[in-house]
Amino acid sequence: MSAERLRVLFLSGVRHAGSYLPMLRADPRVEIVGVAEDPGAAGRALSDTRALAASAGVPFLGCPGDLAEIEADLVVVCSEPVRHARLAERALAAGRHVLVDKPFAVSLAEATSLRSAADRAPGSLSVVNLLRGPAIRRAREWVDAGHIGLPRHVDVEFLSNGAMFASNVERPELVVDPALAGGGELLNFLVYPVDYIRHLTGCEPVEVYAETATLFFEPHRRFGVEDTAVLSLLLTNGVTATVTVGRVPYAPAQTPTFFTARVLGSHGHLTVDEDRPALDRFGPGGLERWPLDGAAASEGVRLFLGTLVGDLLAGQAPGYGPADGWATVAVVDAAYRSAASGQPEPVAPGAGGR
Amino acid sequence: MTATGVGVAILGSGGIAREHAAALARLPGVEVRYVVGGDLARSRGVAALAPGAVATTDLERALADPAVQGVDVCGVTPLHAPLTIRAARAGKHVHVEKPAALSMAGLHEMIAEVRARRLTLMTGQTVRFQPGVAALHRAVAAGEIGAVHLLRVGWYTGYVWAGGWRGWQLDPARSGGHPVHNGTHAFDLLVWLMRDRRPTRVFVRSFRTLSPDVPVPDSFHATVRFDDGSLALVELSYALRERGASLRRVLAVGDRGTLRHEDDGDSGLHSEAARAPSASVDGAIGAQMAHWAAVLRGETEPITTPRQMCLTLATALAAQRSLVTGRAVDVPEAADVR
Repeated sequence: MSAERLRVLFLSGVRHAGSYLPMLRADPRVEIVGVAEDPGAAGRALSDTRALAASAGVPFLGCPGDLAEIEADLVVVCSEPVRHARLAERALAAGRHVLVDKPFAVSLAEATSLRSAADRAPGSLSVVNLLRGPAIRRAREWVDAGHIGLPRHVDVEFLSNGAMFASNVERPELVVDPALAGGGELLNFLVYPVDYIRHLTGCEPVEVYAETATLFFEPHRRFGVEDTAVLSLLLTNGVTATVTVGRVPYAPAQTPTFFTARVLGSHGHLTVDEDRPALDRFGPGGLERWPLDGAAASEGVRLFLGTLVGDLLAGQAPGYGPADGWATVAVVDAAYRSAASGQPEPVAPGAGGR
Repeated sequence: MTATGVGVAILGSGGIAREHAAALARLPGVEVRYVVGGDLARSRGVAALAPGAVATTDLERALADPAVQGVDVCGVTPLHAPLTIRAARAGKHVHVEKPAALSMAGLHEMIAEVRARRLTLMTGQTVRFQPGVAALHRAVAAGEIGAVHLLRVGWYTGYVWAGGWRGWQLDPARSGGHPVHNGTHAFDLLVWLMRDRRPTRVFVRSFRTLSPDVPVPDSFHATVRFDDGSLALVELSYALRERGASLRRVLAVGDRGTLRHEDDGDSGLHSEAARAPSASVDGAIGAQMAHWAAVLRGETEPITTPRQMCLTLATALAAQRSLVTGRAVDVPEAADVR
C-alpha cells in the first residue's frame, strides 16, 4: 500500500457506485485508480460500469481475468447484489482489501463462503453500513455509558420513500428482480435495522418472526417479491426487537430513506430520529426540514468510508467486518424462512466475533 | 328523568367505574341512578361522584327500574358477559368496559341477546376518543391517504396498574393476559383503521421489566396480518422508568399517503407541582361517555360495531395464545359476525 494514499479500484459500477465513488474521490487520502468489470458480467452491468467510468472521468480498465494485475489497495465491489459475494471472493483471492456493497451476500451459503474466504485472505473485508451516522453514534454512546441501564427492547423503523423510487433507483429490476437483487426489500433493507439492533444492544439475534407482503408497488408484484415487512426478533440475553421495514409510497420523511429507533432499557429509554434535530423552513412549497446531521443515509456512508480509509491506511482491520456482514444475512435468511413457514425461525448459529 | 334525559346504572366500584361516574355526572340530561357493587362502601364512594346516585348491592333493583335505560358494565372482566346478558334481558342498552368478554362464545351470546331485543351494545374502547387517534381515524375515513395497508402502533408509558400487585389484572385467567386486558385497545384501533378488514394471524413476544416473576408481562409486541395481506405492528410497554412518561407513535401508511402521530411534540405541562395528561389523549373518557349518552338518546349508533368487537377480541385472544406458546396463531374466521 502506498504510505500516503489508498489506491481504490471499483469492481463493477452498478447502483450505489455512483455515490460511493465521488465520496471516496473527495477524500484527499484516496486515489481512484479506475473502474473494472468482471469477465462474466452481463451486458447491462458492463454498460453501467462503463458509464460510471465515463461520468466520473476515471479509467475503465476492462474485464481483467486477474485482479492482481491492477495496482490497487482496496477493491470496492459494487455490482448487482447477486454478484456481491463472488466478486468479493475474487478480490480477496487477489490479495486486496475489499469493501462490498450491502447486502453482504444474497444467501446464507454465499455469506458463509465469503466469510470463510475473508478468514483465509491476507486482506480485510468490510461491508457498507450506516453505523457511523451521528444519530446512531449518539445512541450507542448513551447505551455504553449505562444511561438507560440494560437494553430490553429495540424498535426500528427503516422506510424508503417510494415517491423517490424512480429517481433513487436507476433500474427498478436491481431491487425487485430476484435474478439481480437476490430477493425483495427484506434483503435490500433489513440489513440496516439488523446492524442498528446489534450495534445498540451488543446482542445477537437468535430467532426471527417475519410477516412480509407486497402492498404498494406494481414492479414488486410483477417479480413476486415483498415491498414491506414487520418483524419480531429475539436476541441473546432475552432482549427483544421489532422492525418495520420496506418501501412505502410516502415515508414520513423528506429523504429517500430514513430510520427511527427507540430503545427501552431497565433504567431509561432513548429515541433516535434521523430527521431530528432539524431546522424547519416554511415557505411557498410548504414545510422543508433540514436535519442538522445532514442527509442521514449519505452522511452515514460518507463517515463510514472515511473511517474505513483511515483504518486501512493505519494498517488496522475495519471495525465492521465479515462476521457482521454474515450476521445480517443470517437474520435475512431466518426472516425469509419465517415468512414462508408462518412461524418463528431460528437464526443460524455462528454470529459474533465482534 | 326528563323526556330527553337518560338514566343509567353503573355496575362496579373500581377505578374505571369512578371515572365513568364522574364523566357521566358532568353530562347534561344524564342521571346516574345506581352504582351497583359487592362492596357497598366502595360503591358509595363512586356514587358520591354523581349527585343523586344510589349505592346498592341489589342488581335486580337497578335492572327493574324503568328509568334506567342504560347499564354501564365495569368491574372485573369475567363478569362482563354475564352482567351484559342480564342487563339485556332486563331490556337495557349496555356499555361494557373492554375487553368485552374473555371468550368468543361469551361475546357472541352478548351480541345475540342485545340484537334479539333491538338494544345497543358498545364496548369501552376509550382510545378511539383520544383526540390524536380520533383525528387519525377521521383522516383515514376521509380517504386522505387512500387505502391503509401498513400500521404501526407504539405506546410506551411509565405506569403500573393501580393495585396491580394484589389485583386481578395480574391473573391471566381473570384478565385474559396483557394482550387481552390492554392489548384490546391497540387491536381495536387496528381493526378500526383498517376499516374492518379481518386479522388472520398474530405473533406475540413479551418481556418483563418491572418484576421478573409476575404472570403478566409488562410489555409485549405483536405482528398482525390481515385477510388482504395488509400488515400491522403493535408495541405496548409499561416499562418507561419515569411515572407518567409517555412515548406514543402511530404510523398509518396508505397507497396515497402516510399519517404519523407522535405525542412527544404535544403542548404540555412541565412542573414539579403536577402532571397533566398529554393533550393528544386528554378528555377521552368524557367524550366516550358523551357518545354513549347520545346512543342512549337514539341520536347515533355505537361507535363500536358487533363485528369490530368480535374481530378485536378474537385477535386479542389469539395474541394471548401466541404469547403463551411462542408460536404464530391464526385468528379463527368463525369468530367473525356480520
